[in-house]
Amino acid sequence: MNVAFKPDETFRDDFTFRNTPEAIRRFPLPFPEDKYMYSVNIEAHRPGPHGSVVEFAIDVDEHYVAECRERALVLKEDPMRFQALPHMMSAQWDCLELIMESLARDYPQHFTLDRQGSQWAWTNRPLGIQQSFTFGDPATLPQQPLEYITRQVQGDWVVMDQREGDLWAEAGMVTTQADWSLNFDIGMSFKEWHGPVPLAHEMGVFDRALKYLLGLRLNEPVRRLNWTMTVNPRLDTSPEMYPKWGTDRASVTPENVADKVHLRVELQGLWRLPRSNGIVFSVRGYLISMRELATIPKWAKRVHRVLRELHPALVDYKGLTRYRDTVVEYLAPFDDGSPTSSGTAPE
Amino acid sequence: MSHADTIPVRVVAVEQVTPQIKHFRLAAVDGSRLPAFSGGSHIIVVMNDVDRVHRNPYSLLGVPAQLETYEIAVRRMEQSRGGSHFMHDSVSVGSTLEIAHPVNLFGLSKIGRKHILIAGGVGITPILGQMEDLHQDGVPYEIHYSVRAPEHAAFLSRLQQRAADRLKVYYDSSGHAIDFDGLLSTQPLGTHFYVCGPAGMIEVVLAKARTWGWPESHIHWEQFSAPPAGEAFDVHLAKSRLDVHVVPDQSLLESIEAAGVEVPYLCRGGVCGFCRTDVLELDGELIHNDHYLSDEERASGRVIMPCVSRARCKKLVLDL
Amino acid sequence: MLVTGIKSKPVYTPLAPDLSGRYHLMVGHGVGREPLLRVLRDLRTAAPESGARTRVLFVGSPDEHSASDEVFRSAGAADVRLFGREDELLTDFQDVLTSSVMGTRLYVAGPESFMGLVMRLARQFNLNKDEVRAEECGAAARRVYCMHCQTATENVTTNIVQCKDCNRWLLVRDHYSSRLAAYMGVMVDAEAPGERPEVKEVFR
Repeated sequence: MNVAFKPDETFRDDFTFRNTPEAIRRFPLPFPEDKYMYSVNIEAHRPGPHGSVVEFAIDVDEHYVAECRERALVLKEDPMRFQALPHMMSAQWDCLELIMESLARDYPQHFTLDRQGSQWAWTNRPLGIQQSFTFGDPATLPQQPLEYITRQVQGDWVVMDQREGDLWAEAGMVTTQADWSLNFDIGMSFKEWHGPVPLAHEMGVFDRALKYLLGLRLNEPVRRLNWTMTVNPRLDTSPEMYPKWGTDRASVTPENVADKVHLRVELQGLWRLPRSNGIVFSVRGYLISMRELATIPKWAKRVHRVLRELHPALVDYKGLTRYRDTVVEYLAPFDDGSPTSSGTAPE
Repeated sequence: MSHADTIPVRVVAVEQVTPQIKHFRLAAVDGSRLPAFSGGSHIIVVMNDVDRVHRNPYSLLGVPAQLETYEIAVRRMEQSRGGSHFMHDSVSVGSTLEIAHPVNLFGLSKIGRKHILIAGGVGITPILGQMEDLHQDGVPYEIHYSVRAPEHAAFLSRLQQRAADRLKVYYDSSGHAIDFDGLLSTQPLGTHFYVCGPAGMIEVVLAKARTWGWPESHIHWEQFSAPPAGEAFDVHLAKSRLDVHVVPDQSLLESIEAAGVEVPYLCRGGVCGFCRTDVLELDGELIHNDHYLSDEERASGRVIMPCVSRARCKKLVLDL
Repeated sequence: MLVTGIKSKPVYTPLAPDLSGRYHLMVGHGVGREPLLRVLRDLRTAAPESGARTRVLFVGSPDEHSASDEVFRSAGAADVRLFGREDELLTDFQDVLTSSVMGTRLYVAGPESFMGLVMRLARQFNLNKDEVRAEECGAAARRVYCMHCQTATENVTTNIVQCKDCNRWLLVRDHYSSRLAAYMGVMVDAEAPGERPEVKEVFR
């Protein structure tokens, strides 16, 4: 996909982020039907339709340069958004290899990777980076391997160690999260860090998900979608920054709802890592404003119905309480009550 | 979760390293780099024999940083169902095989503060892979390697070079045996124990570890065993609407695969739980040979692990 | 409103002897004395020979100390160490862990804040959930970690508390980190500054 980057887009202050019509059409709507409840909903992460967000293992879109800049800003203010426990170094290198190989293979116009044994040379043209280094030797990179490479890719990355029949979140780069903290959660087991999620525990969702992930195999990654909503196209909605973005939630009015409220969808990928036998979990956020969403008639109807009927515990947990009704009212005129086709395609 | 992309490989070297063990070096047929792996991993090697397909797991014993070739070692089993005989008798330099991506069910604990690796005979193979990981991480470890006699000690020079005085070798022929009580009673907190060898050795270690108060989470074991043979029996696969005849020296899983039906698996040795299959109808008894199901599950007659278990029955219907 | 009542709060159970262990290390604070005595006696009943392999580390008030040494020993402990202060106990505990061997089981009893520090140390020695048992007793006051300035405020008994460093009013959540040995505190009035729930004593 040969898109033009929009390097000056912002995800804070003046919020100049916008989606082009192409970006709108490829948006990963997480609702295949007119209602929503949790499920494990994992599928094989195999190459998807041309132009879609799952065409490649890791998606690079028009917001790539701007998001990398935003990440750098977050890290400057709060370096603890990247952490790695000491025993995770081999997993960090696994992730570096995964990301570099994917980007170079799928976007050769932007990225080049040249491997000569353990001497690697990496070129990132959009960010103007050229780096030679020794794979396995942290001293040859300007930051730890996971930090180095995740500064050059969109989305958050959490690395888990597998031991004692469980998964432990013990390294990560988390700057675009929907209200969870790496600094607080690092070191937790699978069910511990999912503790705050309501209802799902009773439904056995995490037992099944954990069992499935423990058997995840090399070369057979999986993916799923998760979603929430955000006021303003703000990527950093961390607990740490809550004093900054908390007031956004109360700032929605019928006049500004169309441009302020965004559907925020996380495309989550899970890969088994070769040298560490760990698992890396990528959380890639896509934002679309209600106005942009409503340009796709089927989606306007679908999202109207999903939000109107959403379980109260989910409304609460996803932080939608203050503005859900305003969004539903904005979308209502787009919904004539007619049936929608199943599946998430625009038509 | 089953037979996803295999990698075609060619045998580039074969060496008889002990009277019973052959060492094979494999390279990708297309010359590409093989996938990186973690110490303790194994690959399933797919062997197209004359009348059947063998799928046997073999541990990777190479240096993880060297990915031009994979190394495995195969012991010639006296009572073989054909896999080890095939490798010894029908495979030579130039032969082609298929392998699956590495799987690790015997990995090191990353937060272990000390690691004790125990190998019996050909059980040294995954230990070699683990040793390479430990060497790289610089964590304290010991290797205790027990073999029948000096001529049966494989890869000694490689072990000595890497592990040096962390390695102790014990020869049955000299009457030396590993002092498991001594080892298990004196380790600092955070020590992990790994054992790969004959069933008897593993049983002894597990029993002694219990006596010395070790929790199961600190004892890791891997057993190389072929699925036990048994009487022939017939099984009906309900979803596939197929009847399958299981011969004495082919496992239920292998017979199902030969009929063209895929079953998820990881270890093919009754340990990991992945091939767990529901029994819809049974007139007879199930012969459980796995290490996975609980006593209740076995008694229920409603579930079976086809990779190692069998049946003696008039009727058996599986949910496949 | 912010969600509370979530599932990552640790669950404690009354202490019972773990007979699969060989060495029994007991660490207690204040009213944690009673659960430790109970498990010592139960252990002695179930496995009389285990006495030689039990050790107690205890911190309490001077009153609690006066009888403690003898009380623990007569319940079956072979080695008893008493401390006047938590930090002294923790220093000794670290030494004990350094010289302990595999086969050890750890039993902890006391207020949660104390136990969190003990268990955090134990984790550094790779003692996992199979080897550690904990019974909560005494004050339920929480250690609260402020997400915004990364400071911990001790002895919190209320539903909301002012961070001792940045002064923001924090909602005390049930989401707990064993690594930090603390509960999460997030700004309670971030969405509507000044709008706070009434302060209530909830963790006694």
